[in-house]
Amino acid sequence: MPQAGLKTIIALSFVLAVGFLLVILSCALWKAYYPLLVVATYVLAPVPNWICSHCANPDDFVESSGAAVLDLGRFCTGFLVVMGLALPVILAHSQIIEVPAMIMSVIGGLLIYGTIISFAMFFQEEQEF
Amino acid sequence: MEDERLWKFSKPDWLNSVWARNAGVYAAGGLFSAAFYVLLDSAVWSKSPSNGSDVHITFVDWLPFIFSSLGMLIINSVEKARLSADSFSYSGSGVAWKARVVLFLGFAALAGGMAGGVTVFVLKFAVPGVKWPGMNMGVENVVANALVGLSSVVLWVSQNMEDEYAYNLAL
Repeated sequence: MPQAGLKTIIALSFVLAVGFLLVILSCALWKAYYPLLVVATYVLAPVPNWICSHCANPDDFVESSGAAVLDLGRFCTGFLVVMGLALPVILAHSQIIEVPAMIMSVIGGLLIYGTIISFAMFFQEEQEF
Repeated sequence: MEDERLWKFSKPDWLNSVWARNAGVYAAGGLFSAAFYVLLDSAVWSKSPSNGSDVHITFVDWLPFIFSSLGMLIINSVEKARLSADSFSYSGSGVAWKARVVLFLGFAALAGGMAGGVTVFVLKFAVPGVKWPGMNMGVENVVANALVGLSSVVLWVSQNMEDEYAYNLAL
């Protein structure tokens, strides 16, 4: 079904663009460029999962070290996702950025991360079949 | 397996699924991240213009968090399967005994970190009577250490779901 895939890709890239727009606006409107860190966090978030899934050997059930490496990757991903939420809140609490900038960068970051996650899900589904 | 059960209520089925296990590990990472950033928030706020008082976050405030993180690292690095002395194949070389000693050290570090958080709160904030916006820094210290403890509990529980999951997949 290439048609549905094409529509999905167009919709996802639209959402990604809106997310970047929100984050960059939250930086540029108040001339404080710290919320750009949120983009870096969310782009880096799937990386530990990806690295650890290549390190682990999922066929090895006798020694469960493969599952431990996978767990480490999941732990780091969870850490990075909450970090993307927590950074704007910290910056706003210490009055480094304004509260509207915090809201915009949180929503933008969630949109970016949602795009990355759903992209990965679609690609995995295509590989299985 | 059903005969060796101790409790009246059995675990619900969804608890043993891969999905619940992975969600537990993600949640543990998120809780640890929340703990770290709660503490970082108090440190950043202490240097920000909103802090009018002369109470500041120093290395002492970070020390309990370092200890609880160390404890969490130790606890979750131990292979849980080596803990049960019932598995006679491991009790001979004393691995179960070693695992218990290391786990004891880990839990001691975790509990010590929590106690240290409360100590810092009492000695640095409650007894000198710091006014409320500054008092927040001490409360955040206690909250951060409690979150580290909660995170390691979640990680421990979700790692213990593992054996049946691996068993199901191996079949």
